Amino acid sequence: MQTQIGVGVLSLPSDLHQVAKQDGWISLAIAGAVLPVILFCLFLIGKQFPDSTFEQMTEKLFSKWGGRVFSFLYILYFSSVAALIILLFGRMISLWVLPNTPFWAIALCMVIVGLYLANGGLLVLARFYTMVSGLLPVLIILTLFSFQEVHLMYLMPIGESGISKIFEGASEAMLSFFGFFVSLVIFSEVEGKPRQKFIIILLAHFFTFFFYMITLLVSYTFFSTTELSLVPEPLLYMLKSFELPFVARIDLFFISVWFVSVATSYTTYLYIASLGLKQLFRTKSIKVFNLVISLFVYAFTLLIGFDVAKVDRHANVVVYGGYIFSFTIPIVMVVIILVMKPFQKRKEEAS
Amino acid sequence: MGFFKRLLFGDHKRLHDRESSDPDKEPEHPSSTKLSVNIDYLMHEFHRTSDLRIRILEKGQAALVYMESLVDQEKIHEMIFKPLELGDVEHISDIPNSKVTLNMEEAIQTLLRGHALYMEDGLRGVYQFRVTSSFNRSIEEPANEKVVRGSHDGFVENLMININLLRKRIENRNLTVKYYRLGKKTNNNIALVYIDGVTDPSLIQEIEYRLKYISADMIHSPGYVEEFIEDQTFSPFPQMLNTERPDRVTANLIEGRVAIMSEGSPTVLIAPSTFFSFYQSSDDYNMRWFTGTFVRLIRLASFIIAVCMPAFYIAVVSFHFEVIPNELVMPVKQSINGIAYPPLIEALVMVVIIELIREAGIRLPQPIGQTIGIVGGLVIGDAVVRAGLVSNLMVIVVALTAIASFVVPSNEMSTTLRLLTFPLILLAGTLGFIGITFGFMMILIHMTRLESFGVPYTSPIAPLRIKDLKDTFIRMPIYRMNNRPKDSRAVDKEVIGPSREWKQLERTNNEQQPAGSQEASQQASSESNQSSD
Amino acid sequence: MKKILLIIICLLLLTGCWDERQFKNIKLVMTMGFDQGEDGGIIETVSIPTVNRGTEGQTEERVQVLSTWARTPLEGRDFVDQSIAESFDPAKLRVVVIGEELAKENIYSVLDEFYRNPTNNLNAHLAIAKGRASDVLSYQNISDTMISEYISGVLEGAVASTHATGENIQLICAELFEPGEDFSLPILAVDEEKQLIKYDGMALFHEEQYSGVDIPMKLSTMFMLMQGIKGRVAHLTKKVSDEHEDERYNYVTVNVRGHKRKADISVHKDTVSVDLNLSLKVRVVEYPSDHLQEKRTIDELDEKLSETLTKDAQKVVSLMQEANSDIWAIGRQVKAYYPEVYKELDWAETFPEIEIKPSVKVEVIQHGIIH
Repeated sequence: MQTQIGVGVLSLPSDLHQVAKQDGWISLAIAGAVLPVILFCLFLIGKQFPDSTFEQMTEKLFSKWGGRVFSFLYILYFSSVAALIILLFGRMISLWVLPNTPFWAIALCMVIVGLYLANGGLLVLARFYTMVSGLLPVLIILTLFSFQEVHLMYLMPIGESGISKIFEGASEAMLSFFGFFVSLVIFSEVEGKPRQKFIIILLAHFFTFFFYMITLLVSYTFFSTTELSLVPEPLLYMLKSFELPFVARIDLFFISVWFVSVATSYTTYLYIASLGLKQLFRTKSIKVFNLVISLFVYAFTLLIGFDVAKVDRHANVVVYGGYIFSFTIPIVMVVIILVMKPFQKRKEEAS
Repeated sequence: MGFFKRLLFGDHKRLHDRESSDPDKEPEHPSSTKLSVNIDYLMHEFHRTSDLRIRILEKGQAALVYMESLVDQEKIHEMIFKPLELGDVEHISDIPNSKVTLNMEEAIQTLLRGHALYMEDGLRGVYQFRVTSSFNRSIEEPANEKVVRGSHDGFVENLMININLLRKRIENRNLTVKYYRLGKKTNNNIALVYIDGVTDPSLIQEIEYRLKYISADMIHSPGYVEEFIEDQTFSPFPQMLNTERPDRVTANLIEGRVAIMSEGSPTVLIAPSTFFSFYQSSDDYNMRWFTGTFVRLIRLASFIIAVCMPAFYIAVVSFHFEVIPNELVMPVKQSINGIAYPPLIEALVMVVIIELIREAGIRLPQPIGQTIGIVGGLVIGDAVVRAGLVSNLMVIVVALTAIASFVVPSNEMSTTLRLLTFPLILLAGTLGFIGITFGFMMILIHMTRLESFGVPYTSPIAPLRIKDLKDTFIRMPIYRMNNRPKDSRAVDKEVIGPSREWKQLERTNNEQQPAGSQEASQQASSESNQSSD
Repeated sequence: MKKILLIIICLLLLTGCWDERQFKNIKLVMTMGFDQGEDGGIIETVSIPTVNRGTEGQTEERVQVLSTWARTPLEGRDFVDQSIAESFDPAKLRVVVIGEELAKENIYSVLDEFYRNPTNNLNAHLAIAKGRASDVLSYQNISDTMISEYISGVLEGAVASTHATGENIQLICAELFEPGEDFSLPILAVDEEKQLIKYDGMALFHEEQYSGVDIPMKLSTMFMLMQGIKGRVAHLTKKVSDEHEDERYNYVTVNVRGHKRKADISVHKDTVSVDLNLSLKVRVVEYPSDHLQEKRTIDELDEKLSETLTKDAQKVVSLMQEANSDIWAIGRQVKAYYPEVYKELDWAETFPEIEIKPSVKVEVIQHGIIH
């Protein structure tokens, strides 16, 4: 369930900083507090259709063809998120570790890992995630190294940038939690009672939130306010300057570990995209669709490559897509469900 | 999962065919009342092999047939002729401990097992006497699974002795042994051992089902069986535990696993087994649990070292030398400065050399084997560094890797580890740390995808079961491991009941009678005073 | 099928090792120096140690020092690269020395490259050379063959004895950018007579420039303590009496065991004033005139020390204000806690004017194993 932590971790602090200055952490806190509401919406939807797949849900809600169109849009959205993850990953690796390696090689690594993992199916995915979630403490510990040089003063003054900015930052922060939407798609695939699932999702959410908060606070207190606006990946930058007795340059290790968590979030999107395709075409095997989507994503990312401007444009598209697909539509769905409920009941009574 | 699919959808026809063809495999050939016909038939069936002995008795009216190479002459004398001489019986056919058959095919089978056949003219029955000779190695500790403390016996090549060793350890009526005859030409005896009521019946069913599928001329070692019935053959990881230690098998049986033994090999296969079971040694349970935990942690660390160390070194010296701390920079630089080859080649050469030395050491007789080790390790290592072909750091790294890979208690796993270093070395040489992470991730994904008889290979880590971690990374005190691990899919959960309740009882007793205990201690102290006087 | 695919991919990957930088083919630059050059350029000096391994494990170390004129540090690196065998890599840089003159102009222009490229070592020590950096680097000493070892040793020694802050490139970054916060760097000087490189006080910076004002060696320990930084040992030697004829009897040396620093910033309308209270717990490590049995003498010593050290502290403060170097980040704190006041002030002009009242309180808690 911990797929939410992904590419965002590294650049989130500075993204937030651009909007809300040193009050970015308040924005994050607000985002973290608002999200459970949306999660609850998702839970309501999932509870309404405990046994049906996401595709069937949309079909029930938006009639047959409307549902299909929606599902298709979602598939498109998920694969573009996957593509964005690869693009950001490629950019990060190229900037920090392998400046001369061509994009296709870096992307290929990710695509292969994703394909191999997704072919294992949901069970293997879940097992792998629980296994690598053991790496999260490692990331946290690495982050905590920098507590030697913390200046709480840099968080002050609180509320300098104004409430509107903080809320703007909150919406920015919310984007880093986009992973939650995955939970709706695989809601019916996972065993267990809806309530249990909801609790798990909430726990996952709070864990992510906690993790983000730590990284954010550490980088906010380590870097001065102006400096932070210059450094796009403050966490890495911070680690770069520390040296342990046996190894220097912790950032390189951090990136290597981070690769794993990026791969997991990429695979999740890949998997749900091809799951959607599978349901759309009503076939048994998912492997073909995994391959199709991988190739599609790979080709797409090759077109964009390292070009920063294009990556940003794509990122913007995905972000707006995220607003629509992860916030608006679920809420609309909830509304429809609430409206339809009395009708359905009446129908049941009548029959 | 594939198995169920096969069970549900395909292969029904094939299965059916096989069942119907089974009787054909063991044709019946009724014995004749005429002795000569029977003898002729036997002679013909055995292609007049020279070690088939036919002793004509009673002036040509009867014959004793046996395989000279399989029977014990002493036993023949004991069982057949002695009763005659003593006058206990009139006829050989009257000797009570014989088995009569009317089927010549069955007679041939028993003949091959080392029985002697007695036939008489005018009688259809063929009397079989069990006079098998067996030559057994004495029960010794297996050389490749030595332990410091604990039992020092090991399995031998005889199946009966092996089962005997197990039965002695588990005196329980539920210990079930099932024989299978496998190998169309060699007709080997395979035994499936499990404890009924503990082992999951569906697991036994599945293994039986898979065993029945085997159709090969020869089953010559458990390695054959393993490859026929394991889930994934295209995997570097062994999915069944190989062991020659009865205590290890016993422990696994009790945990609800199944052992597969075969005649002619001391190696026993244990299924299902997980990755971590390869890292458990029976030594762990004979130590204090602190030391057991420590040793096990070291073993698991050796997995990382063995797989990653050369790759890590290569990534550092050819990609990310920033990682080397300041104090080490110059020494490292010094040692690799004058080396002609890139580190990638250097590492590959050294790893291959180590493998060569190891293989040479195994194949040669013991005294020479040790010499090879010394020559290879010391002389070549030193000379190679002096000649400037390989840096001394690389020698250290490769040697450490080799040592780390030998720490694993299971030989199969250790070879796997050494094999896995190669792809990682190549990846590290192309993409540095990212390559290593990529490679390691592929290995991990592969491991999570593996299943051994329906049990996830990486359990209890993924899927996580905190309770079972008691015996994975660490070894908790034995009385704490009161439930069977879930990965064996045992039916009966509890394995250890409350065994240290006496401690609690003692404590409550003390609390109830504090005065009494005080008195006792006073008494004890006064006694000690007296003794010191 | 999948395996074959994998093998092909592996082979593909093998064909290109794009980022391979063989460690053995690289000349490590451990020390770099920058000086003001003609026409607004810089003079870049690097020292490159080379080691060759003999057959019997003996090693031979040589140090090559190169100087070149260039417009920017990276161009200088290219020029150097052209004149040395193999390639140049500053990834394990230990020390960056900046010449006095260049530092007075701006140091960020030199350091930008270090911040921008990921392979650079941000851990490198940073120091200011009294005179020219190239003199420091080309200095040949006898004991340590490697100049980087020598200089970093000197600097680390200064940190351990509470003379320097131990700034590296990364740590000054925050102060470089943040308004209302400044930093100081250790000064290195070449002693021509004794053939040594020595630590010679702290250079005070204002924003990105060296102000030209130094904290002399005598005051640097006090300067550190007033920042709340203490190395492994902090010795203060002070004159406490005039009674004795033998001058040496008039001095006491104490080792600071514990220190507590408290800076109170108070803002009244537009005026900012700072009270710095420093309380030190010390152990007497050298006091030839003895007589520490009685509590009264100890109290007197406490008082005397407090008095002299407060004077020292005042000197430090006046130097800081002269240099307009806000080492204590008073400006940032004002910004943090009184943002309205800060907005109205031009901090760079205000700082030299504000009132800073340091007071030091010393308490002798131990006096060695004799009285």
